[in-house]
Amino acid sequence: MNESAELLLDRYEPHETGQIVVEPQVTEARFSPCGRFLAATGFDARVRLWSITGEKPTELPAIVGHNGWVHSIAYHPTESILYSSDSWGQIRATRLTDEAPQEHWTCPTAHDGWIRQIDISSDGNLLASAAPDRDICLWSTRDGSLITKWKGHDEDIQSLRFHPGGNLLATGDARGLVKIWEFRTGKLIREFDASSLWLLHRLQDVGGARLIRFNPIGTQLACGGVKPSSGGTVQGEPTLLVFDTETSELKANLTFGVANDCYLQDVHWTDDDVLICVTSGTPGAGKLIMRRIEDEKAFYETTKMPNCMSVSLLSESSDPRNARQSKQLAVVTTNRNSNGNGRRINKNGEYEGNNSPIFLFRLGKKV
Amino acid sequence: MNPNSSLCMPNEHRLSRRRLLGTAAGAVGAFGLGGLLQPAVANELSKKDKQVLFIWIDGGMSQFESWDPKPNTLFGGPFRAIPTSVPGVHISELMPQTAKQMHHMAIVRSLCTQDNSHSAGVARIQRGDPKNRGVTYPYFGSAVSNLLGPGSSNLPSYVWIKPGSGGFIHEDAGFLGPKYGALAFGDGKPPENLMRPESISESEDEARHQLRGIVNAHYANRRRPVVSEANKYVFDTARTLMHRRELFDETAFSERDRERYGTHEFGRHMLIGRKMLEAGVRFVKVNSYGWDTHGDNFNGHLSLMPKFDQAYSAVIEDLAASGMLDHVLVIAMSEFGRTPRINGHIGRDHWPESWSLAMAGCGVKKGVVVGKTNDKGTFVDSDPLDIGHMFHTWFRALGIDPNETQFSNAGQPLPIAHDDLHACEEVLA
Repeated sequence: MNESAELLLDRYEPHETGQIVVEPQVTEARFSPCGRFLAATGFDARVRLWSITGEKPTELPAIVGHNGWVHSIAYHPTESILYSSDSWGQIRATRLTDEAPQEHWTCPTAHDGWIRQIDISSDGNLLASAAPDRDICLWSTRDGSLITKWKGHDEDIQSLRFHPGGNLLATGDARGLVKIWEFRTGKLIREFDASSLWLLHRLQDVGGARLIRFNPIGTQLACGGVKPSSGGTVQGEPTLLVFDTETSELKANLTFGVANDCYLQDVHWTDDDVLICVTSGTPGAGKLIMRRIEDEKAFYETTKMPNCMSVSLLSESSDPRNARQSKQLAVVTTNRNSNGNGRRINKNGEYEGNNSPIFLFRLGKKV
Repeated sequence: MNPNSSLCMPNEHRLSRRRLLGTAAGAVGAFGLGGLLQPAVANELSKKDKQVLFIWIDGGMSQFESWDPKPNTLFGGPFRAIPTSVPGVHISELMPQTAKQMHHMAIVRSLCTQDNSHSAGVARIQRGDPKNRGVTYPYFGSAVSNLLGPGSSNLPSYVWIKPGSGGFIHEDAGFLGPKYGALAFGDGKPPENLMRPESISESEDEARHQLRGIVNAHYANRRRPVVSEANKYVFDTARTLMHRRELFDETAFSERDRERYGTHEFGRHMLIGRKMLEAGVRFVKVNSYGWDTHGDNFNGHLSLMPKFDQAYSAVIEDLAASGMLDHVLVIAMSEFGRTPRINGHIGRDHWPESWSLAMAGCGVKKGVVVGKTNDKGTFVDSDPLDIGHMFHTWFRALGIDPNETQFSNAGQPLPIAHDDLHACEEVLA
């Protein structure tokens, strides 16, 4: 291990501080920027909430009123407002408190169907959303009014992300085409070819541009997912393609495992250019991986958590000199033995679902 | 669990005319030619024009994402249910076109079958899972081929339009013998080298045919009839197909039909299947692979279901419009459904405990839903129906009384469907 990697490990090595076992499953958990809340989306039309200001997380009343799956959440950068979207086309804004969450506004028919992703602009004024209806929509975060929308892809849109610079929005579709838009005019600025993350297998479009991330200064765009080798039971290498934002040039093609590691589910790109990544894997597989783009290999990797779905970093300061004392990580996983054909009945004769252990970590050396 | 394994993708060999002939003839030794125990019944049945379109969704379509949605429930998944053309009946939002055809259809939501593996399940379902009598029962297509015969078209009575390669799948016929096997057209294409080479004139070909007849007669004189009959069948089949090349001409399809059925593989194959039915083929199986969604089930179905919806709704609409649905039984099904529980790969596994199929056409009530599952979709909450019940039901829909009709396995009478089960009367017209 070179010195640089050792220093990175000093800053980022995870030390488990606890688990929250959530039932039924959740697929995404995010710390609020203020560091007071942890929110998780799931399969039961709720947003689960915890206060994390005490010694241990304390569950708060959930956000209800959604339908289907709550699939994406995003926080206002400066206010305690959480935005959530569901698979039936609804977007909600909820003010978080230490008691019950308070509805801020609701748009029940923002899209016709499964909203794949929402994001909040860096100034906190705009919410972007996209769904298989192929509409890219911009909403006012203040009152939920629609500001503009346009159709930008010929395929289902799977991901989107605001550029940190404030006037660009990136969207990615089911066949791996990523586009950057000047969102105030809807003008297409640039396209990125991430089609290696897509495969037409028999009838099935497999993969696509499942996630988009920018580095903190916006000079690089990363598109992640799987480099698929088959459909049905999807197999393929978890992959992140890193492009130069200005030129669309592919700068790096990072692989995070083998075929049964499947999707790269989530990536957090830190201020000091560390990629904290999780892969879902076939049931029982999956990894938490930390690496930098320029390094040949990860400086940290663990397979102790099966089927990782999301990773969230809580950093009280963007200054790495301070952050080493306060960084926390939340990783959503799935219980072991989550799969299996046929009936699986518990001792009470009930058919059981699965649950999601959320692993909580403190990062870096203990001070 | 691996969709690339042999469990999920049976390994058929490529078919040429020569191999078609060789394979079927070679199989005669292993299988005796069976038939109906009562020839008079066979003759009577063969006069009827009943046909079957059997749509096989290999790997296991999720009942939640198709025929039995449970929106906003624990295992219901992300999708909504939508109303259909039958008031009160809802199906998954992934099938908007099929929803418009519901008034032609019947959905069975109370299937509870016995096998949760592909390797055994596919055959067990398609053979009707009869009582074990130490013999290999025929697939439904072979059974219908045997019971109803080829009809007046002289075309093969059991054809299979499938992705990949084709072949003469004599194994389907079980104890009935290879004559009742499936003639599989890989990617809807005719067997290789089927057409008469341009270097051979029609009269020369006819002379060759006459010569073959003489040689075959000589061959038959020295062999058991079952062998010579099978041999003659495959030669005649090849010759019939040589004269029906238009069946494989996809350029003849209208642009409108291409768009309606879809330009994808399944749409093309369904359109060819419709053409085969129109030409008089008794039993047409159209096959789609790749539905074994242990991982990424919901994105998988989001991509797969619209293609199924497009082709399925189009063929139902067309068969209804042409009046063919009065005598064509359409069945769409898999070997099982998928688990309510969503695994850590966001997939659904195999689930034979409570699943669904769809039917339409002759002998079937229109616009009905039979059976139900509980509110979470985990188990059947009405009288469960096994595949044996469905075989009884399908035979009845085709005008065959399974209680009065028997197969003959070299003289041994055998029931055509599980003898302890019965038809589902609720779905029969």
